[in-house]
Amino acid sequence: MANKHRHSREDVPVVPDALSAEEAASLAFASDKTLTKHHFTEGEHPIVRIEHLNKSFDETKVLRDVNLDVWPGEVVVVLGPSGSGKSTMLRCINLLETPTAGHILIEDQEITGQSKTDVNKLRREVGMVFQSFNLFPHLTAKQNVMIGQTKVLKRSKEEAEAEAMKQLTAVGLADRADFKPPQLSGGQQQRVAIARAVAMHPNVLLFDEPTSALDPELVRGVLDVIRDLAENSGMTMIVVTHEMDFAREVADRVVFMEDGVVVEQGVPEKVFDHPENARTAEFLGSIG
Amino acid sequence: MKNSMSRRQFILAAGALAGSAVLAGCGGSSTSSSSTSTSTDSSSSSASSSDDSYTLVKDGTLTVAAELGFAPFEYMNDQTGDPEGFDVDVINAIADKLGLQCEYLPNQKFDTLVPLIKQGGKADVSIAAITITDTREESVDFSEPYLDSNQAIVALKGSTETEETLNDASKKVVCQSGTTGNDWITENLPNATCVPTDDVTPALTGVSTGSYNAMVVDLPVAKYMLTNSFSDLDIIEEIATGEQYGIAISKDNPNLTKAVNKALEDMKSDGTMDSIETKWFGSTI
Amino acid sequence: MSHMHENAMTRGESHHTRRVPALALVFSAALVLVATLALLPVSALAMTTNKATARPNEDGGSGVIGAMDTRLTWEGTVGDDEEVSSITLSLPEGATFDHASTRITVLDGLNRTSIDGTATSSGNSVDVQFSESIPAGSLVRLEITNMQFPADGGDYVVSGSYTTADGQSHALDDSAAITVIANTPLQAAVGWLDSQEWVAAWNSVPFLGMFLKPQLLLTSFASLFPGWLVCLGIVLACYPFAIVLGLAFAMLKTSRHKVLRAIAICYINILRGTPLFLQIYIMFFGLPMVGINIDNNVLGVIVMAVNSSAYLAEIFRAGIQSIPQGQYEAAASLGMNGFQTMTSIILPQTVRRVIPTVTSDFITSYKDTSLLSSVGVMELMMFSKNLTTTSGNITPYMAAAIYYLIVTLPLIKIVGIIENNIARSERGGGPRPKRRAVAGASQQASKAEDELTASAEVSHAEATKPATDVFAALSAPFVSHPTVDLGGVADGE
Repeated sequence: MANKHRHSREDVPVVPDALSAEEAASLAFASDKTLTKHHFTEGEHPIVRIEHLNKSFDETKVLRDVNLDVWPGEVVVVLGPSGSGKSTMLRCINLLETPTAGHILIEDQEITGQSKTDVNKLRREVGMVFQSFNLFPHLTAKQNVMIGQTKVLKRSKEEAEAEAMKQLTAVGLADRADFKPPQLSGGQQQRVAIARAVAMHPNVLLFDEPTSALDPELVRGVLDVIRDLAENSGMTMIVVTHEMDFAREVADRVVFMEDGVVVEQGVPEKVFDHPENARTAEFLGSIG
Repeated sequence: MKNSMSRRQFILAAGALAGSAVLAGCGGSSTSSSSTSTSTDSSSSSASSSDDSYTLVKDGTLTVAAELGFAPFEYMNDQTGDPEGFDVDVINAIADKLGLQCEYLPNQKFDTLVPLIKQGGKADVSIAAITITDTREESVDFSEPYLDSNQAIVALKGSTETEETLNDASKKVVCQSGTTGNDWITENLPNATCVPTDDVTPALTGVSTGSYNAMVVDLPVAKYMLTNSFSDLDIIEEIATGEQYGIAISKDNPNLTKAVNKALEDMKSDGTMDSIETKWFGSTI
Repeated sequence: MSHMHENAMTRGESHHTRRVPALALVFSAALVLVATLALLPVSALAMTTNKATARPNEDGGSGVIGAMDTRLTWEGTVGDDEEVSSITLSLPEGATFDHASTRITVLDGLNRTSIDGTATSSGNSVDVQFSESIPAGSLVRLEITNMQFPADGGDYVVSGSYTTADGQSHALDDSAAITVIANTPLQAAVGWLDSQEWVAAWNSVPFLGMFLKPQLLLTSFASLFPGWLVCLGIVLACYPFAIVLGLAFAMLKTSRHKVLRAIAICYINILRGTPLFLQIYIMFFGLPMVGINIDNNVLGVIVMAVNSSAYLAEIFRAGIQSIPQGQYEAAASLGMNGFQTMTSIILPQTVRRVIPTVTSDFITSYKDTSLLSSVGVMELMMFSKNLTTTSGNITPYMAAAIYYLIVTLPLIKIVGIIENNIARSERGGGPRPKRRAVAGASQQASKAEDELTASAEVSHAEATKPATDVFAALSAPFVSHPTVDLGGVADGE
């Protein structure tokens, strides 16, 4: 939570020249279907539509007029330097942060300005995997995966348990089902967290830097699980990460954000190999 | 005087002899007590010396310990906070006769008075409507009795309780901790629950609010408190115990006991005692 | 028995000759006896026995034990037409008045009459010769200290006779029976201790004799037991209520509504900001004044519960707030509502975190029940105070201390163990510190991302933790009421 303060602008080198209004408008609603590998079907609506999203913490503007459409089944990887607002944007999508201005539509439903109950309903549709896992330490791995199902979806215990075991098997942790989080390594915890989110069968799955808190040797296991989900589940996924190789392999579309603005987006090959924006090129260069 | 002498005289034949001897010895030489006291205060072993000198905690001062919640015997004046009461007048008169200043320690708990005097070092005497009992005499010496007293059972007005009905497991009888009332309850109401408290006022309050069925307390105190503060209570039974109050003095300070006895004797003969009694009880007792 | 019979006969004859001389030869002796005995109670002409009681001599108990020193108090009223010059009291065989001393009180109404006497003890009877005749109608009280009842328990009546001023001897009515119990095993043990040389040596040291007198320690244990049960009962009964109340006020204090928060803050601050002693006084004397009368023990439970709830509210609030924000977010991201989040995610974790502090508070509350003695709740301190008063010795307080420690020491130990476990389990929780990556990366095969590392940390934690925790655990109960310092906050993100 304290990371809201990490978004202070001092961390970020000052952007030499901000985007012009035209440039911003051109990125709006990503209607340019060449920007993604997604296979569109006739009359398809974006599953997530972000319109003129603004978010400020006190005086600090973290998101400035962000526009983004995400299509059903699409895997969007959001890149950008620390403090660029990518995590905040993600957290706005399931209302862990309340937008200061703008609109977010999920399946054509406006989610901003909803009542509490509706927010909870919305969140069932949008799963989230956190940087710091946020497993419930008092519950076993299996119970972590079950609790949302039983409490929120009101599934029976048997049903929830079967689903939990299925998802734990999928992330390769069936044998750790009865372990509590503190007995698991970070990588194992994150895989349980993924299983927990997936077991809710959300329409959209958000990943907030899922490997940033992991020891390097544990990263690969988690990325393998996400890749597997991306390739085989058909779930819509928005992944904020710093893993460039992963982005290149898995993403249908890469979105580059900086200073609270979407600076550039497109299929991975184009953004990685032929970045149009100087800042994108500089960032990829420094990382790569 | 004869009255008070007699109490000791026949506790035991031997005790009586000793008691008379003390009194006899006292009569001849006590006049010099007060004049020599100041010069010998500092001598710590004076208790065993053959002269009449006594030790004092503080030179020239008679330090008194008391529980100051036992009106009309001793209580604190609402305004000044100074001790007042029958006992206070008595001990002041005694101090006068001994040529000493009288100084009270801060309020003590009643059940600590005898141990405090026994242990010594803090107070010279304790005067607090302390009944002379055999048990207490094992710990401290007492002056000759200066007042006769009795006990009373106090209950709500209109209460149908009697000594007999109170002696029941369902009854709670309150008293001040360590008093003869306390003893009386354990011996005479063995079935009732005896509840000793530190102070009289909360005990009586408890009776008036119904927390306790009755209180056993010294009759003069009961009369005084009921007249002044607890009009909803009544004395349902006067217990004729004929107990006698004495001034507690350390066994290590027999000459002080002698001096106090001499002073008491003088007060009885010169009318001081009568006037103090009249002042507090309306008549001599 | 023969002695009593003889007395009765003497009395019967004397009345007979005095009051019904014409019939004297006609009736049989037995009939006369019956008739006179029946007349006696209604006649104020002869001396009556009012009562006889014995002072309880069971250490810390209320029983009168045979073959142990006690004090017999006998009260009688002199008849209206006679004066009494001596009284003899007798108890059955086995009782002894040897070494006893007798205090004489003669009262006319409430006024003391100065009459003395000489008491002569011989075996199971004592004879008191008065220095002058006791006037008609006077109340006579004889307090015979250091006498003993027969060693076998039973109901004993005091019989006796008196001599009037004109030299006539009459029998006294038997008193109501005094129940005497045989020596208890406890008293036997005390007796055994009394005879031990080491005990004598021990007690001759002023400090040891005053604070840890073995005999008194033993009897104190026995007689403090009910008080200990009351203490335990009160704290055990009050604590569930305190927890519920505390939880409720913790919720109110973390509520978004200003008014609810204000109510909780008032409640908590007033209760934490005033001495428990004062709260007890107000409740025990204030409530009855406004007409609310509650049983002392129940009221004790209520006061303790209310007081404790304020401290628990703060403990719970801090515990709830120490749960990392990520837990709320994770629950929210699953679609849980506030209530579900609280009950199935936050509170279960809070409970684990606050157990040590709550246990410390429990220890404090348990000790604080001692304050209830001031308002007449018959708990441990009350019993020990009474014993100390009657014995003039500090040992009963030491026995009470041991009774407190019996409960608190194991709890302190448990707090330590729980704190250890929590510290251990929290070690593994949350994101792994990055610095480990540097040290561990070279040793760990990249796929071996398993619990080996985790368990290595666990055993490390076990090895280093106790030293600090023992101190914390030991000191915890002595920090008056535990304040809200829960380590978890710092570990937050």
